Amino acid sequence: MNRTLVRQMIGADLLKLRRHRPTMAAAAALSVGTSALYMLFILARHGWHLPATQLLDDGTTLMGLYFGPMAAVLVGTQAGVTDLANHVFRDLAATGRSRVLLFLTRVPAAVLLALLFTLAGFAVSTAAAYAFHGAGPGPDLGLVLRSGAWVALATAVLTTLAVGVGSLTGSASITLVAVIGWQTIVTGILYIAGFLGNLRWAVLSIALSRFLPAAQIGTRDHPGSSNALVNYKVPMPAAVAALVIVAWVLVPSVLGAWRTAHRDV
Amino acid sequence: MTTATPLIHLRGVSKSYGPRTAVSDLSLDVPAGCAYGFLGHNGAGKTTVIRMLLGLTPPDAGTVHLDGHPVDSDRLAALGRVGAIVEEPRFHPHLTGWENLRVVAAVRGPQALRRIGPALERVGLADRARDRVATYSQGMRQRLGIARCLLVDPKLIVLDEPTNGLDPGGILQLRQLVAAFVAEGRTVFVSSHVLDEIERVCQYVAVIDRGRLVAEGPVAELVGGSATEYDLVCRDQQAALTVLSTHPAVTSAAPSGGAIRVTLGDPRAGTGLVTWLVRSGVDVVSLTPVRHSLEDRFLSLTSRVGDQHA
Repeated sequence: MNRTLVRQMIGADLLKLRRHRPTMAAAAALSVGTSALYMLFILARHGWHLPATQLLDDGTTLMGLYFGPMAAVLVGTQAGVTDLANHVFRDLAATGRSRVLLFLTRVPAAVLLALLFTLAGFAVSTAAAYAFHGAGPGPDLGLVLRSGAWVALATAVLTTLAVGVGSLTGSASITLVAVIGWQTIVTGILYIAGFLGNLRWAVLSIALSRFLPAAQIGTRDHPGSSNALVNYKVPMPAAVAALVIVAWVLVPSVLGAWRTAHRDV
Repeated sequence: MTTATPLIHLRGVSKSYGPRTAVSDLSLDVPAGCAYGFLGHNGAGKTTVIRMLLGLTPPDAGTVHLDGHPVDSDRLAALGRVGAIVEEPRFHPHLTGWENLRVVAAVRGPQALRRIGPALERVGLADRARDRVATYSQGMRQRLGIARCLLVDPKLIVLDEPTNGLDPGGILQLRQLVAAFVAEGRTVFVSSHVLDEIERVCQYVAVIDRGRLVAEGPVAELVGGSATEYDLVCRDQQAALTVLSTHPAVTSAAPSGGAIRVTLGDPRAGTGLVTWLVRSGVDVVSLTPVRHSLEDRFLSLTSRVGDQHA
């Protein structure tokens, strides 16, 4: 495969996404916007100073489990469905180029763009942690880097999942409702359904939270927390969590690629 | 067809959607360097054939070759120099004309990227290239679709109902572009039910009806003079009718406008008809073979006048 060609195709997919203003505006509001609003709210509530670790943990959770994934899903869905929705896919398929390649180049383009938003949102909380830790110690650089990496992992996973489901369904509305509905409502219910035991390990957010650098929010380790952000931490082996995450990336991707390759257009 | 290696080569191609047969055992050879009309009513199977040509949907049976390459197993080679507009040209409305071409050029390869500017110039859209396609008229979108075809320096351009939604100026421009492409040695495969356009633009034509090929050949042959029907103009029509009724090869003779429409049972009888009429005392002014329009031929071949097809 020609590297220049792949780079060009990813560039073209990036172009389609970044020029779609509604998606960009919504993704910016869900990431940077909500992060800034949350920090303003929680700092105002606590006299404009909070432990740096808590601000960082809240910001990380917000971008890795709550609003960041919504931005990622939005971008991923748009990447998955835009060619079909605009009836342009058949023109791309008629070039003779591999349809699987057409699918595969959507993924890095969407992930790159989604990362811009969620990492910018994470940067807002990091900046707040540095600026408003009061008399307490500032944020630990190692934790900042680990938290940023975890946000990037969550973003990449959720974006890829959305690209796959979008390519599979061909419908933005179905994809958004299904993926966001699963990530918010269904995941929340499953998290508190303790009777399910280890079955809950299969839930993506629970597997992702296994690698979240922060401890559980709202515990005595994090005094003063608003306790508004549950981070879905359930004790589980790291290897299992990694396998679950890989499965959540691979299964929708394979299905999306298969549908892209076999779709009658 | 006369060429040894046709640019489009279909053999025994069939396609069904559930119980409905869209295309049945279709074989077609399209020579290189011509404008080839593909005629049929709405729903006759034209777009299905084009979609199979472009590898957008696989045939249930048969083989499709473009420029000698099988579309199913060697897609890139088969479609690498094919530009196409299927049904109607569609674009990302939020992108500019230039950006839309860039999206396709990126998939085609680096050379296609360099052709964006010249292609836009060629179709007269260079000055609107930086405007969003959402602001384009139907005619401009059609031209942008043709510019998209030109990104690959195409050997074959496939146009599906290209005059749909175009005003007379747009149709004229399209006709000129097709003629220019053929003059450059490209092949243009035009699917349409606008018979007049096909007759003006194409050198070859195929007629498809209910998924089956019912006629194929040079347009001139298809609409050319009839060997069995003649219009006879003479000074005394009544006398001529009487004489004609005695000719053994004449199956019918009836006034038609200012002439007599003569139908012969044997096409070979046409050559001696004038001599025979003159010897029989008819003062012949002219005897001309009846020339059918493509519309006449199309309707006689498809026999679906007044049908409403989805």
